[in-house]
Amino acid sequence: MTQPLLQLNDLAKRFPVRDALGRKAGAVHAVDGVSLSVAEGETLAIVGESGCGKSTLGRLMLNLITPDAGTVRFAGDDLTKLSSSALRARRRDMQLIFQDPFASLDPRMTVEQAVAEPLRLHRIVPRSEERARVADLLSRVGLRPELARRWPHEFSGGQRQRIAIARALASQPKLIVGDEPVSALDVSVQAQVVNLLSDLIRDLGLTFVMISHDLGVVRHIADRVAVMYLGRIVELGPADQVLSAPKHPYTRALLAAVPGHGTKAPPIEGDVPSPISPPPGCRFHTRCQHAEALCRVTTPELTAAPHAVACHLDGRLPPPAPRPDRLAGGERLRRLQSFFRAPGPQPGVPQ
Amino acid sequence: MSATAIPIGESPTRRAVKRFLRHRLAVFGLIIVVAFILVAIFAPLIAPYDPLQTSWTRIRRPPSWAHWMGTDENGRDVLSRVIWGARASMMAGVVSVLGAMILGVPLGLLAGLAGGWVDAVISRIADAMLSVPFLILAIALAAFLGPALENAMLAIAITASPVFARLSRGMALEAKSTDWVEAARALGNPAWRIAFVHVLPNIIPPLLVQATLAIAEAIIAEAALSFLGLGMQPPNPSWGSMLNSSQRFLTQAPWLSIFPGVTIMVVVLAFNLMGDGLRDALDPRAEKT
Repeated sequence: MTQPLLQLNDLAKRFPVRDALGRKAGAVHAVDGVSLSVAEGETLAIVGESGCGKSTLGRLMLNLITPDAGTVRFAGDDLTKLSSSALRARRRDMQLIFQDPFASLDPRMTVEQAVAEPLRLHRIVPRSEERARVADLLSRVGLRPELARRWPHEFSGGQRQRIAIARALASQPKLIVGDEPVSALDVSVQAQVVNLLSDLIRDLGLTFVMISHDLGVVRHIADRVAVMYLGRIVELGPADQVLSAPKHPYTRALLAAVPGHGTKAPPIEGDVPSPISPPPGCRFHTRCQHAEALCRVTTPELTAAPHAVACHLDGRLPPPAPRPDRLAGGERLRRLQSFFRAPGPQPGVPQ
Repeated sequence: MSATAIPIGESPTRRAVKRFLRHRLAVFGLIIVVAFILVAIFAPLIAPYDPLQTSWTRIRRPPSWAHWMGTDENGRDVLSRVIWGARASMMAGVVSVLGAMILGVPLGLLAGLAGGWVDAVISRIADAMLSVPFLILAIALAAFLGPALENAMLAIAITASPVFARLSRGMALEAKSTDWVEAARALGNPAWRIAFVHVLPNIIPPLLVQATLAIAEAIIAEAALSFLGLGMQPPNPSWGSMLNSSQRFLTQAPWLSIFPGVTIMVVVLAFNLMGDGLRDALDPRAEKT
């Protein structure tokens, strides 16, 4: 097997919490002991509830925040050890797409300036070819190149997200991390952008890490899925296996919570425990209906690939309640997408 | 709008200009400011007399057709001196505020974006300077540097800079937490480029508002320093020094005090009106829609 493009080893990040007097009162364990590898050309989805640390993990992958422990190897280099100028140069190969397209574009830069910035920073094309390359990138994401000299405030959310995608593509990165790239968009626009992303991943051979809580989108786009709970990965495996035959009780509960699901599964009880003082043992035991004495004491480790799970009851868990073979939303989403899938670049609609 | 004709987009700056032009009082202020700037530039052409030309035959004459603002205790034409005085005041206002910005804004950006002990040191120095009244500090600095217009401007620039440092630090802190600054980092921008290419253009609006208001303050400060003899040196005309020399004749020749005094008031008022209009036009809350 070839070397993975991105390899995370025992990564941990804690954010200190201070009391009213500014003393350290503890820490939020946002990411705690995550090991993960992403192979070149694959699409990995990271799913979990809000607050489970998936966005933090995404930023750790790009070393936008530095981990407290562990290593991030990108194409062989440990990003945490690179000098700041070497890291900046490395950023050419890894890009981030943000959740909120209304916040991720500099309000004082035209579309052209925003998309051309990575071209300039990393000297991708000479200045004379810049304009042509920007036009090329814009049409690639389905925007008319004539819109290049407009400002972000003149665009809709979906269009802005397309601009952000064009900017992320500009430096011809090997890895793109999408932090909930469609969840801030309207449903109809979501489908368009998901289509665009999956087309780009296929055509450009991108390695893509998709952070999402929308299992319908994840099923549509991902090769592999990692399920996170309270800063740890609880299940990791090929997308079809994890989504159709989940091994971890938490994954089952997540799937059961997808609206429109055929059978009403009992919802999991209670809230996510505080990440400031996560429960000992298996972190899910406070809400798990199958929890045993061992779960309250010992933290389960991930089993071996390809379909890994961190659960003491692995193999002994009662089979999940029978459920329809399709994931709710999957077929409907596909049908919805077929409406919006356009053959070529779509004209952006000026406001 | 039809989908075929796509005009070049409307920049945030152009939208702000449009909003500013709808603000009548602000435009009125702008006109007065521009008028005074033109007067300052073309003073040699406009002034009817030589502002330094004394004459023992027409001492302290009241306003007349020959001398619209009268003559002073040395027989010099007050109108010509007010016109030439505009040079000192405008220069002092604009140059010292520019100096204050050049000094304060980069330090504020550095404090806001770097954080940690850098921020602590810069912020404490700014706080210390702000805890002393503006004029007192300016007077102390000017007295230390020696009486000259250049030194007065330098003193005003130093005294006004902490306001800009603190303002830009706050705005930089706010910008630092936004996605677009993180995006700039993720794209591989070096720190200086984030500060000057991304953050600075976004914090120009509040700086511009602060600058117009600071110019008004600086003009008053220059007048005060000149009044105390720390600014423009006699016999060269400046509104502050004219007020100083006229105070002895307040009852016999009030026009000597009234005209420079009213001029200062009008200019400062114009700058303040303009600043208020700018603030409304550049309001970030209006920017979003």
